[in-house]
Amino acid sequence: MASSANSNPVPKLYRSVMEDVINEVRELFLDEGVDEQVLMELKTLWESKLMQSKAVDGFHTEEQGALQVQQQVQQVQQTQQPSQPQQVLLPPAQQAPQQQVIVQDSKILQHMGATGMSAAATAATLALPTGVAGVGPYQQLITSQGQILQVVRAANGAQYIIQPQQPIMVQQQVLPQMQPGGVQAPVIQQVLAPLQGGLPQQTGVIIQPQQIVLTGNKVQQNAQVMQAAMAAQAGQGAAQIQAQGQPQPQVQSQQQQPQPQTQPQQAAQQQPPMMLQVDGAGDTSSEEDEEEEDEYDEDEDEDKDKDGAEDGQVEEEPLNSGDDVSDEEDQELFDTENVVVCQYDKIHRSKNKWKFHLKDGIMNLNGRDYVFSKAIGDAEW
Amino acid sequence: MAYHLQESLDELIQTQQITPQLALQVLLQFDKAINTALANRVRNRVNFKGSLNTYRFCDNVWTFVLNDVEFREVTDLVKVDKVKIVACDGKNTGSNAAE
Repeated sequence: MASSANSNPVPKLYRSVMEDVINEVRELFLDEGVDEQVLMELKTLWESKLMQSKAVDGFHTEEQGALQVQQQVQQVQQTQQPSQPQQVLLPPAQQAPQQQVIVQDSKILQHMGATGMSAAATAATLALPTGVAGVGPYQQLITSQGQILQVVRAANGAQYIIQPQQPIMVQQQVLPQMQPGGVQAPVIQQVLAPLQGGLPQQTGVIIQPQQIVLTGNKVQQNAQVMQAAMAAQAGQGAAQIQAQGQPQPQVQSQQQQPQPQTQPQQAAQQQPPMMLQVDGAGDTSSEEDEEEEDEYDEDEDEDKDKDGAEDGQVEEEPLNSGDDVSDEEDQELFDTENVVVCQYDKIHRSKNKWKFHLKDGIMNLNGRDYVFSKAIGDAEW
Repeated sequence: MAYHLQESLDELIQTQQITPQLALQVLLQFDKAINTALANRVRNRVNFKGSLNTYRFCDNVWTFVLNDVEFREVTDLVKVDKVKIVACDGKNTGSNAAE
């Protein structure tokens, strides 16, 4: 946990606040007839969550009684267990219901790490729990191999696992829940092999057009192995085009199963990916896409997606461009909505120049917590 | 932080170790404690600069969304592309919902 700054007052502040609160509620707990044990449990839960969010330092136990020491030992053991096979840090996302999914992920990851599977396989296996679609918006998974996988959840609910450290990019995509079918389709796994021509260990498949933009943005540096054959739906077919448009044509040569027919078509269509998405939706690649769709249907969504794909593509284009604007993941590790909660002393405006005089605030920036007693700011509207 | 506390409380409620009423009390207590702590323990200053995207003033609460902001403290500098600022009236102990 060396992430905190040298003299970051926040952890100490939180620590002391937590102490105060716990002490103050202890009385409340006793009044209610609730056991002190429960209070300790609350404290432990609270501290562990704080630690997970990496906003605060590790928690102290020396000042507390034996109960806490025991709990600490248990926690340490728990934290060590995942660290041995695999260090999985899943800073809880902002949404509570997704935490359960996180746990599932971590368990699976642990299992993965224990078996020493490669990152690709790990991510592939990660894909197995289809119910995982609810993984928190943005999480960082740090595997024992030292690879930092970013599980990024796009606005559409698609998930990516991105390994910036390695040329191999593993993408895990979960069909967005917002699809009309409302079904959490099995996860499509993509293993993108490097330029070496490594064969994808898993049947790489594709993407939904919504997700591709994000994928493409990130994958530009890496070779993508997209198996055209697996791209089932028309929408996805067009998505392929778009995704493939960004990496080099080298990728195509690496495709194993692709039908040769699709490649030239896709190659031709690669150049203006955004435009062609609409064109490619229904027409040229429709035949082949339909074939792929048939194959894909077994693995993927219902027909609704197929039907809606063409229509969806037109809509998805602006959505994609919307994704580009709103999801600026490239610039931030955590796509937290940075928040400042404070009090204002004075807010001033001259024409379009605003001046802010704020005080006593807590900030969450890029996933980390800060506090201030006073803040002064300038902004132009 | 308050969010984590809330989660912990909810877990305890679900396992029926505490009552919701008690949880509420705890949260209230927390709010008081954090307000006091903020007021007394924190003594640092931050500057920030950016561009204003939206502003809203309703019920004596300002809500801003800023873009491309730099938060500057003596020790470090934090840049964010988007930040939402919620500011309550600081003159008459406005309620401060801690995170």
